[in-house]
Amino acid sequence: MNRKGFTILELLISIALISVVLLLLLRVMMALDAINHDKTYASDDEIARTEIIGNIEQDFLDYHLNGLQIEKRDEKTILTLFMDQEKTIIVDSKSLTYDNEEYPLKSANATYGTCITYQYQELENDYYLVSIVIPVYIDGENTTVKDDLEFTYLGLKNELSSYPTNITC
Amino acid sequence: MKKGFALLETIIVITFVTVSLLLLYGTFTSMIDNREKNIQYDDAANIYKMYYLKEYLLLNGMNDYLNVSDIRKISCDDFLVTSCHTLWDKFHLEHVYLVPYRIHDYNENNYASSFNNYLDALSNNEDYDYRLVGEFFYEDEYSYASIGVISNE
Repeated sequence: MNRKGFTILELLISIALISVVLLLLLRVMMALDAINHDKTYASDDEIARTEIIGNIEQDFLDYHLNGLQIEKRDEKTILTLFMDQEKTIIVDSKSLTYDNEEYPLKSANATYGTCITYQYQELENDYYLVSIVIPVYIDGENTTVKDDLEFTYLGLKNELSSYPTNITC
Repeated sequence: MKKGFALLETIIVITFVTVSLLLLYGTFTSMIDNREKNIQYDDAANIYKMYYLKEYLLLNGMNDYLNVSDIRKISCDDFLVTSCHTLWDKFHLEHVYLVPYRIHDYNENNYASSFNNYLDALSNNEDYDYRLVGEFFYEDEYSYASIGVISNE
């Protein structure tokens, strides 16, 4: 008797095995797609993020942050930092400018949020904690705070300290 | 004349392909895990948080603990300032450890594997006596950062 082709059982077993493998591959492909999505921001702008945070935090320490002012103007948020040398952070959707140096976002799908989270917390012994977060949106969503620009300062109050009350949009 | 494949031949081929693909899957999975690990160590924002935490704790008596030869878990109960808890919460700290610089032998079973992996990844090229290591937990993810500490700063 000529035996051609597959029996139904052989086909079912083959399809079941291939389905298991394809499902595993699908999971890997989805993870790789997520990495590529994040990697677009990470590789292009992560270095800039680290540089911005380092520059601003170091200036807080070197020039003794003693107050700040936050205002919105023409779809930009402007933070004026009162230190031994007054400096400003200007945030618009596609770039951040600090001390007249601009850091544009290179990732096409990333934008800065102009709604900044700012908190001022008084601690014991006349110390205070300031926290500023500039959100980063990927495809319009703040999906992970790891990309956000977060600044912290622990300072000692004096008669010249001038901080606004907490601000959240 | 026999045409087509027998079930046994089909199963053998599919098994071979499956094993190959599973090996690839394992490789990609470890690559994905390594990338996740790399972005959780020494984030710039967290390093400055550890700096401020160190300064605040030194002002409030951490020098008393700078004589240990093994890893010591630091908690706000060790200090008399209630603001310590505020800093802990604001910084999203889960644990803080005082780790002797260049420590080699310690009981890894007492600590999370992620903490042990972080210590293994650190270099020991500077002249500090200790490290203050922060374990941050935010949005269901752990991250680590550390700052050097010199005794009697």
